[in-house]
Amino acid sequence: MITSAALCPAPPLLARELTGSDPVAPELRQACLDATAALLADGPDVVTVVGVAAISRAWPAHGGLDLAAYGPGLVSAEPLVPLPLGLGARLLDQAGYSGRRELQSVGEHEPAAACAALGARLAGTALRVALLVMADGSARRGLKAPGYLDERSFSFDATVEEAVRAGDLAALLALDPVLAAELMATGRAGWQVLAGAMNGRRPATEIRYCDDPFGVAYLVASLRAGG
Amino acid sequence: MTSGAGPRAQGPLRLGRATFPESQPLIMGIVNRTPDSFFRPGLTWDESAAMARVDQVIAEGADIVDVGGIPAAPGFEVDVAEEIRRTAAFIAAIRARYPDVVISVDTWRHETGRAACEAGADLLNDSWGGHDERLADVAAEFGAGLVCSHAGRQQPRTRPFRVAYADVMADVLDQTTRLADRAVAAGVPPDRIVVDAAHDFGKNTWHSLEVTRRLAEMTDTGWPVLVSLSNKDFVGETLNLPPEQRLPGTLAATSICAWLGARIFRVHQVTESRQVVDMVAAIRGDRPPARAVRGLA
Repeated sequence: MITSAALCPAPPLLARELTGSDPVAPELRQACLDATAALLADGPDVVTVVGVAAISRAWPAHGGLDLAAYGPGLVSAEPLVPLPLGLGARLLDQAGYSGRRELQSVGEHEPAAACAALGARLAGTALRVALLVMADGSARRGLKAPGYLDERSFSFDATVEEAVRAGDLAALLALDPVLAAELMATGRAGWQVLAGAMNGRRPATEIRYCDDPFGVAYLVASLRAGG
Repeated sequence: MTSGAGPRAQGPLRLGRATFPESQPLIMGIVNRTPDSFFRPGLTWDESAAMARVDQVIAEGADIVDVGGIPAAPGFEVDVAEEIRRTAAFIAAIRARYPDVVISVDTWRHETGRAACEAGADLLNDSWGGHDERLADVAAEFGAGLVCSHAGRQQPRTRPFRVAYADVMADVLDQTTRLADRAVAAGVPPDRIVVDAAHDFGKNTWHSLEVTRRLAEMTDTGWPVLVSLSNKDFVGETLNLPPEQRLPGTLAATSICAWLGARIFRVHQVTESRQVVDMVAAIRGDRPPARAVRGLA
């Protein structure tokens, strides 16, 4: 069952190498490192990284980040895995985690029920499962945002934040996939995997970062499952 | 001409009634008929200000005047009718005032391209990677030139969002040469076709720097290369400077592209760009100094 979970965003700029001399988002990186450390604090049997990709599948556990795809000339860590999984794997490396890990993508178009079922299955892979979910909110939160401004993004992201803050993860299952796609909220399926993994339990949560410095909603949170 | 093994020779480029040899770098001066472009927004929104700007860029040494009615960034919708309203009559006025200057229209839409050609435009400058396939047909019909660009399969007026390439330059070469071949098949004269890597379009800053570094691979295809670098975000992000302070970075990138064989430079600041490309042409040996007496008297 799930004992703890961490929620982190998955922008390429989380990789320090990609932002040049300016660290650009040090607070965001630190919050992700803190959330990862907390995730590992009580010694899980397995850490499963979950990220949204084209299809749902398991990836090689030793897969790494495809840095060269974003910064030609940089060195990618083979075997390549989708961006959110590569970033999650790197967070585990940075936290010094060397235990059992799994990398699992969830398809961007998976309906909520399939996401929840995947989460339930992941929760059953060991006695003590820690979940690192790499998922982003809307990329349409301002005139300079990647997707330009869509006013609906504010209430959408607020719903997600409030659900996580309250530990009411079931509310995430009600997110509209069509609206999420329109808002370029690429993390929708990942949140719903998390909700399925928690299986109705209300975890204690801590929001570590919640901001949109580049027009994309980033949410970093720690979740500790109750009994 | 296609991208094959080994460099291909560059030939003369024809634009309008003029023929330009490989050794002559061309400056394309930007004249935006928009209220909201990223650099000096609204500067030439007013028609009399826009014509004064045309006078200025030609006086400063521009070979081509590039008229655009829509900003690249997302924003207020500009439909076909409004885009034509902003550009076509203005192009006709430029043509009447300057019978021989090369006039380009910055558009991805074939309807706008057609209106511009009817008004006297010589070159259809499509920054959005052949999004509208019928634009090439319009170029063929009017005997106009066509810019074939790499926009990374982005929709027009969208910003790149986490774009990734196994090899960005390979993608640029594949897409631009394919579009150029398609234009030839559509009937566009091959010596009126230009390719453009389209810095910033469908690219992050690292991608645009890589394309700049490897521009020789593009000039080696044999197609004349246009570069549009002027004050763009990849310059701003590299130097951490706002648009109005990006001229030195722009000129640095300009000189590298000139050295690597680019032939058309789309710019806001004509005087400075003209000096840079002429200086680089002299260093390459393509152009004699204007006046050399030192040590010679």
